[in-house]
Amino acid sequence: MAEIVGGVGVPHTPHFPGIVDREEPLGSQLRRLYGAAARHLRDLAPDVLIFFTCDHYNIFFVESVPIFSIGVAPSAPGPSDYRELQAYLVPIASDLARHLQVAAVRGGFDVVMSQEFDFDHPVTVPLHFLTPEMDVPIVPVFINGLIPPLPSAARCHALGARIREALTGMPGSVRVAAVASGSFSLEIGGPRLSATSHTGIPDPDWASRVLDLMRAGDVGRLVAEATEERLTHAGNAAGELLTWIAMLGVVGDGPAVFLEAQPEFGHAFGCWLAGGRRGPG
Amino acid sequence: MSIYAVNKVCYRVVHEPELRRDLTDVPEQALRAATPALSEEELQALLAGDVGLLSRLGANHFLLHQLGRFRLLGLDLPTYAERIRAAYRPD
Repeated sequence: MAEIVGGVGVPHTPHFPGIVDREEPLGSQLRRLYGAAARHLRDLAPDVLIFFTCDHYNIFFVESVPIFSIGVAPSAPGPSDYRELQAYLVPIASDLARHLQVAAVRGGFDVVMSQEFDFDHPVTVPLHFLTPEMDVPIVPVFINGLIPPLPSAARCHALGARIREALTGMPGSVRVAAVASGSFSLEIGGPRLSATSHTGIPDPDWASRVLDLMRAGDVGRLVAEATEERLTHAGNAAGELLTWIAMLGVVGDGPAVFLEAQPEFGHAFGCWLAGGRRGPG
Repeated sequence: MSIYAVNKVCYRVVHEPELRRDLTDVPEQALRAATPALSEEELQALLAGDVGLLSRLGANHFLLHQLGRFRLLGLDLPTYAERIRAAYRPD
């Protein structure tokens, strides 16, 4: 059977790779934070990553907007939306992806499959820092966190748990980690932007509350409080939190072993061990 | 017409360099060729870079800000942000 080994959650701000490359003042902090998540993943030695992401109006906007989709292509290039960023061909564990899509549907989750697509920056920016060699294939799970109506937090957590159940029931031996990508409070281009930018952090208190609950391992409370109304209040990209909640459904509820915020961005970097383990000591 | 027509133009801006070129060189022609068709109010607002009005009409902000990001229709990101702020500034 597959072994769930842990997970990470990180932001995907498209300017971060350039800030690190140009060694701007924020670069050393970003290098440290992404480095912590990358080191955690390396120590977990996963064979595959279940990667929860929200399409940013690049794959699904025109034809349809699925609430949940799993990408089953053998690989996909990206990023499609920021051509100035480094381009990658991201390997996909397509057989496992198809297996999980079937298992999800048979488990009562109407998860569609996506057969041909390009990734956008919410996938490639995290991988740029976490697995830049692209030597760990992913199973991309798209959650509609940006275009209302959003799925409920409970449904996202349950989907993660269903994926965990399907993985642990599989024959063979494979080590699986889960990845979440996104912010807790973020407004892009909307009326709640800051005084100096086209983005804003409308609800820093919510971002702080999310951190407290993750730090305590109180995922049940987090799921209960992360209503669509609350997420909408926290910004038009705050639904990205749903990727973290789904990731925790895979990993199993428990406190983070590493969690550090960048409050000025409304997001954080977090690491978990499977099954709520608290790590050495 | 639904505000979807405006959102779709903004979506296409990200993925179609030739549309970005046309919106720079022949903006009205490019907008009149859009499908689905823009309403006259939407088309004039886009030509004027009036993102405050488009916001009030219900355009998606994530997509709308791409006009500023790609410096189209007289916008850049600071101008975009200022026009959105102005549209929601209390009197």
